[in-house]
Amino acid sequence: MIKLILIGIKDLKIIFRDRAALIMMLLAPFLLTLGMGLVTGRFSGSSTGISDIPVIIVNLDQEQLGNALEEAFTGEELAGLVEPTLGKSPEAARQAIDEDTAAAAIIIPAGFTRSVIPQQGTFDEEPEALQIEVYANPARPTGAGIVKSIVDEFISRIEEGRISGQTSIFQMIISGRITPQQGEQAGMDMAQRLENEPLDEALAIKLNTDTNEVEAVQFDVLAYLAPGMALMFLMFTVSYGGRSILAEKAQGTLPRLLVSPTVSAQILGGKVFGIYLTGVAQMLILIGATTLLFQLKWGDPLGVLVLVLAAVFGASGWGMFITALARTPAQVASVGSAIMLIFGILGGSFISLEMMPPAVQMVSKITPNAWALDGFTTLALGGTLPHLSTPITALLTMGMVLFVAAVILFGKKNLVQN
Amino acid sequence: MKKLFAIAWKDAIVRFASSSELLFFIILPIFFTFLLAGGTPSGEEDNRIRLVVVDLADTSISREIFTELEKSTAVRPEYFPLEEAEEMFEARRASSLLIIPAGLDMESIQNGSAALEFRKQPNNLNATVAERAVETAIRRVSSSMGAATIALEEAKAQGTFESAEAEQAYFNESLELAQTLQADAPERVTVIEGSTPDQVEYDPRANSSAGQLITWVFIPLFGISALFAYERQQGTLRRILTTPTSKATYLLGTIAGQVFMALVQMSLLVLFGVFVMGLGWGRDLLALFVILLCAALAAGAIGTAMGTFVKTEGQASGLSIMAGMVMALLGGCWYPLELFPAAVQNIVKILPTTWAMQGLLDLVLRNGGLVEILPEAGVLLGFAAVFFGVGVMRFRYE
Repeated sequence: MIKLILIGIKDLKIIFRDRAALIMMLLAPFLLTLGMGLVTGRFSGSSTGISDIPVIIVNLDQEQLGNALEEAFTGEELAGLVEPTLGKSPEAARQAIDEDTAAAAIIIPAGFTRSVIPQQGTFDEEPEALQIEVYANPARPTGAGIVKSIVDEFISRIEEGRISGQTSIFQMIISGRITPQQGEQAGMDMAQRLENEPLDEALAIKLNTDTNEVEAVQFDVLAYLAPGMALMFLMFTVSYGGRSILAEKAQGTLPRLLVSPTVSAQILGGKVFGIYLTGVAQMLILIGATTLLFQLKWGDPLGVLVLVLAAVFGASGWGMFITALARTPAQVASVGSAIMLIFGILGGSFISLEMMPPAVQMVSKITPNAWALDGFTTLALGGTLPHLSTPITALLTMGMVLFVAAVILFGKKNLVQN
Repeated sequence: MKKLFAIAWKDAIVRFASSSELLFFIILPIFFTFLLAGGTPSGEEDNRIRLVVVDLADTSISREIFTELEKSTAVRPEYFPLEEAEEMFEARRASSLLIIPAGLDMESIQNGSAALEFRKQPNNLNATVAERAVETAIRRVSSSMGAATIALEEAKAQGTFESAEAEQAYFNESLELAQTLQADAPERVTVIEGSTPDQVEYDPRANSSAGQLITWVFIPLFGISALFAYERQQGTLRRILTTPTSKATYLLGTIAGQVFMALVQMSLLVLFGVFVMGLGWGRDLLALFVILLCAALAAGAIGTAMGTFVKTEGQASGLSIMAGMVMALLGGCWYPLELFPAAVQNIVKILPTTWAMQGLLDLVLRNGGLVEILPEAGVLLGFAAVFFGVGVMRFRYE
């Protein structure tokens, strides 16, 4: 066992003294993460996300309903989601949208309240229906869509109240419980009662809301990008390690070790252990560097550590499998680089897997990148070790299967013997 | 001239000595172009917030609620089995979860027991938006039922009914009236789309084709540095000292050979773009040739200059892959430049990939011609001149 560990530590030292390897193991993923952070606005504070949607409200109604809608947008409940400003004229608001300064403008026409709620003495007349205008910014479809949905919800509450009131009163008149003359007063009384009673209570289908009793976590886009890049270049590390096995065989240093009282299994095991240690060190250095320099929160430390160990195990399995299939160090280098890039794109390092076609999402399951990235995303969203059972099991199984396949292939090649 | 050809031919043999070079020359570029063309955001995809829905009822009412949710401008409902949905929610992969319990039907609504379960993550704006959308959908589905229930309660407040049948009849008539009123309800919201110009000119196929072309051609051209390092390590550069070959001839031969191979590679990728992806690369062939040549010269010159700084082939190889990927990323080859923060958009103008990408997009996306790509071509030639100069000045055979 000591020999195995010594060989592993020796290989770790050799790799970390190689400047060329360090470029690909540490500098490349770090710079690409930095680049991704710049591109997504993570470092300039303009990172996209649904919050502070700028909206302009022009309230020409200045009565009960117009004021209620204005209050809905300026109140505490939507603070953080929308950033409302009050506009004076519809023309100026529309121009602001055309100039892309807000996601949408809400223009409440004068007389809107009267067009919904009949005023005293006008109960028999059907008021002309006025419309609230949502002037939407086509360049900000998500924000404009959310603003529209808030207005829709407000209107649906109003409509519900109106239909409830009218149904109650009209039905009582039709059934002769009250006279048409009493209808107006009954309607006024009912409107007053409904005003004091939350409309939710009147919902025929209730909505029982339950908030997850865990600490709130703000997702950081870099928490997806950084592990994506680290995992992609982890594939370089494991294939680089595999290349060193074939290089030592070509140079005759592997068979020479047999002169010493060391069996071939110990030598190969030590080499594999070295690759594993290097991968773990690479991941931990990148995690440490991004934590310190970018204030990136990776999540539950125990979960991160176990996931790193499992991810490197899965990736090392691939590294050994590629090495077992290749004949020369150059083959491992080129195939390893190609696999690194292919697994990078299939594993979601460049674009989210959710944007990929279903077939590609299915194929991505063969990559350690996809499983590990899934785990890192869960951790960044506040998950803990128990939530990682699926990705960790998948990574360990992947590593195990590939290691067994590699050992069989190595056995056929009689790698350590010359 | 003969020397130039000889050097270029020798480099081609060295580069393609292994068949795996074809992986990087054509197979991977096509694979990436194809995947990114279908995978990068096109601006036309559904941006609404995903709402995980579990429908254990599977009744007309539950389906109606789902249909109403689909009409929402804020959320995009998706059905999931209960176990998977709960797992996603627990792992915070879903900001909210709507569970429609078994037994949601007209009867349960009428007897007041109908209730949906909505779970949301704390302080999550997406969940807040989703909750509102669910409330709106429920209101739309159940408002006539709710109105009839209220009407019945109001009537009861006026006096009791003679029998249970009379009460039910009153409820049924109220429901019918409420449904009529709901159907006749006027539209109270109108949406007008503004005329904000869309700042992002984007076509996933065109952007992917142009971006991957640059990425996969710049990396091997930066790899010229590895060729120098390899020859320096092998001692073959020193041997050239014994021949009547100037530094400029050697460097020109190397660059010309690699640029020629880059042009072949780019032509293959352009043909893939034309025949497989249906892109209009061939509208102005002269302009296309000019911008491709200038881009290749700039990248080749940078590779030459890099080759005078690195010591080993391994360093050069790693550095060229890293520099190629970082420059491609920041040059807008993977994601549209217009999506970058304004300050970053200005900073990345120092990169040749930015100019190459803009030149190619001028042709394939903006239907430009030779005149439109001249500024980008000029800047790329400037890069080529500066870095080739640095390379010649610093180049040593040993």
